[in-house]
Amino acid sequence: MGIRYDLKRSRRKVARKAATQYERLDERGRFWALRGVTLRVESGESLAVIGPNGAGKSTLLKVLAGIIAPDEGTAEVRGSIATLLKLEAGFDDELNAEENILLVGEYLGIPAPEMRRRIPEILEFADIGEFSNAPARTYSAGMRARLGFSVATSIEPDVLLLDEVLSTGDEAFKEKSRKRMVDLMKKARAIVYVTHDLDAAEEFCTRAIQIENGRVIADGTASDVIGAYRKRSLK
Amino acid sequence: MQTHPAELSVGHPRRGPIGLIVETLVSIGERRRLIWYLASSSIRRNEGKSVLGNAWLILDPTLQLAIYYLLVGVVLRRPEPAFPLFLFAAILPWRWFTMAITSATESVRREGRVMQQIAFPQIVLPAAAIVSSVASFIFGLIPLGALYLVYPERLSVWVLTIPAIMLVQVLWTLPLAIALSAVNVFVQDFSNLVKHGLRLAFYVSPALFSFDRLTDIAGNYPPLDTILLLNPMVWILNAYRSVLYAGESPDWIALLITGLTSIPFTLLSIYLFRRLSPSFAKVL
Repeated sequence: MGIRYDLKRSRRKVARKAATQYERLDERGRFWALRGVTLRVESGESLAVIGPNGAGKSTLLKVLAGIIAPDEGTAEVRGSIATLLKLEAGFDDELNAEENILLVGEYLGIPAPEMRRRIPEILEFADIGEFSNAPARTYSAGMRARLGFSVATSIEPDVLLLDEVLSTGDEAFKEKSRKRMVDLMKKARAIVYVTHDLDAAEEFCTRAIQIENGRVIADGTASDVIGAYRKRSLK
Repeated sequence: MQTHPAELSVGHPRRGPIGLIVETLVSIGERRRLIWYLASSSIRRNEGKSVLGNAWLILDPTLQLAIYYLLVGVVLRRPEPAFPLFLFAAILPWRWFTMAITSATESVRREGRVMQQIAFPQIVLPAAAIVSSVASFIFGLIPLGALYLVYPERLSVWVLTIPAIMLVQVLWTLPLAIALSAVNVFVQDFSNLVKHGLRLAFYVSPALFSFDRLTDIAGNYPPLDTILLLNPMVWILNAYRSVLYAGESPDWIALLITGLTSIPFTLLSIYLFRRLSPSFAKVL
């Protein structure tokens, strides 16, 4: 019983040499977004992933979500997964809110009746009012984000993968979504939360890792790792 | 909360070619609702944008027929008897084939954004493109039916065998659609090449001319006549024309062989797709 990540040394080839740090290129000139990462998240843990932009945090989430496969080593996840990598995942501009909710449900492989049952709740939480009958292209950025957040968080997963989502929408929605996140984090068996918001990471997570240049450079309790990271970046 | 041991959802062990193909076929079955939803939403999407909406599904093939009729029938003066019906019997399925291939080629690339965010069996994308293209063929049967008001003597019970011919056509559309959709992710030039490839294929298929005329011409250029016989669309269009125009039974043996020979290509294309698919999200 439990959720296990056995992520060892995943890599990502990108022909983006111009903007690349040389230490992340291998002898054949390939770019390793992540390398030599060994990590195991147990059931009941919530892991914060911190580090500067371009460190490989989001790539780690994509590997865990099954979107990209590791080129080196293996990654395993046990249990159902919900991902909030970017909001508005999978929305089609020409479909209305209800149709988009069903579409995302189909992408995720959730049975249609179950998804249909959740529609009222999702729409209520997203609070997009009359626009729910209009095609998604007419939505404001905030509305799209709210709908995306509501859809993704309406699913009760074993494993929750989050990429910087608490900073969505206006203050009122932020407060509401914060509450829901806490709820979800209580229900999910394991959480991996990529963020720059150190306060939130400290509040929600039990453990933290710091990634830099594609490698894990710190791993420990959230307060330790985040405390050390704060000190370093202040210097 | 569930108490069953959590299933492995990411990180299945690497499979061999047969395992990959079986897994893909199973996933197509499991995700048939997604395929259907993607296909039907792409049809509905077009309807909102134009004044005439879905009427274009009927107008489009009608106008295309009119143009070819003017070109071949009036300008080149090559009409067969009941020429509009002769043309339409081949142009309508050809049009379906073209639409299926072009939209499938783009299908994976088009959904790049979704693939960055949700893990799902990407094979559903070319599959949905094929399914939604069927609509254009079905609606095209309406103006075709109207032509029988002009040539009632051409209508026969053999028209009822169209679904069988459609099946063979789908069988051959599949490997092309799947392979092209995967390759086009990496080399976008393919969508341009496909356009011209299809146009070339159109002229070496019995679409504007009858099969006999085509073999006559090809007979003068030795390798061409063999190539012509290897083109599956030749046999498919022949069958449509027998049924819709000549009012006779299709060549069942040719159809059966055409259908069966597609299977190894389909399996190969699925394997190719699955070998390339882990890199889709990285490239897009």
